[in-house]
Amino acid sequence: MSQPVVGERKPRALNQRVLLLGFLVVAPLVAVLLLNLGRDPHVIDSPLVGRAAPEFTLQPLDGGEPVTLASLRGRPLVLNFWATWCVPCFQEHPLLVSAARALGDRARFIGVIYEDSEEQVQGFLARQGSAYPSLLDPGSRTAIAFGIFGVPETYFIDAEGRIAAKHVGPLDAASLEAKLRQAGLSP
Amino acid sequence: MKRLILAAAVVFVGAPFAVAQDAPTGAEPSRVVGAPRGKALDGDALAARTEDVAGLLRCPVCQGLSVADSPATMAVNMKGQVKELLAQGYDQEQILAYFENSYGEFVRLEPPLRGVNWLVWLGPVLALAAGGVIVAWTLRARRRAGSVEPEAPLPGPDTLPDDPKLARHVRRVRELAYGWPDGRPPGTSA
Repeated sequence: MSQPVVGERKPRALNQRVLLLGFLVVAPLVAVLLLNLGRDPHVIDSPLVGRAAPEFTLQPLDGGEPVTLASLRGRPLVLNFWATWCVPCFQEHPLLVSAARALGDRARFIGVIYEDSEEQVQGFLARQGSAYPSLLDPGSRTAIAFGIFGVPETYFIDAEGRIAAKHVGPLDAASLEAKLRQAGLSP
Repeated sequence: MKRLILAAAVVFVGAPFAVAQDAPTGAEPSRVVGAPRGKALDGDALAARTEDVAGLLRCPVCQGLSVADSPATMAVNMKGQVKELLAQGYDQEQILAYFENSYGEFVRLEPPLRGVNWLVWLGPVLALAAGGVIVAWTLRARRRAGSVEPEAPLPGPDTLPDDPKLARHVRRVRELAYGWPDGRPPGTSA
């Protein structure tokens, strides 16, 4: 039998000051975690909302004159960034086409093609139907200027060219209508 | 026409810098950040600075990767724009501000020194300083209270524990470590 070399320490009562200090450190961390549990960290508020939309001059898919943002003023504009390889874009496409047809002159719809080939987009539109122009965005310059994180993302721009709202992900009828109203669509 | 646009797009992606002036433009950087403040770069200096500045931008379509490190098309396009802006003489801060204008502060990999971000930069330093103060304080308080036990003198090489079994082991260790016969220091008798 060997003797213990180091004497055992006497158990001490919990130090209340240390406990309080620990609580002060841990409580804010827990609060931050709890407050952000329900938030999708991938959705980042666009700093462009409320400001003038970035200018662009883009070629339409089917040829013709380049389209500028300035030429689209005067009516609420739905600017939809999309691609044929994006499944949610495929899902929202019929809604955008039917809304563009139903609203007629009351609003404008424009698609901006994101990282896709012209042939793919033409095939897609021939199969799925189209009701508004799609613009080519080589080098994603316009997508970058609009702060696009992925597709689909849709900007709602009012008649004066100011960004009224942004929608990340596929649109549903209710958000489309609500955000078009924010962009000044008359009831 | 379509073929021409496609060709333009291919050339544009492949060598965006030569044709930049003719290519369709997004937001004009000069409208966002004003006239270029730096020196227009070219050659090796341009390539090196492009890596530096792209390394400070977060790739928007990746998970925590910089534009310089990401192979994503979006990152490649952003890096192309960084190179183009440097070639036009925009400085680092202008370029970061240009992308921040579209993407928000998120796009900067290093939070700029402003507002609540000061906490990120100064927090660790302050915490370290506070820790040092607490340690110094505690030590001083203990010394004053006299609760620090005076250090016992270290046992000499010829002292052995009282416990005979332990003493045997200590001698054995000394024999092995120092080569003292029977673990006794030279000059001492058995």
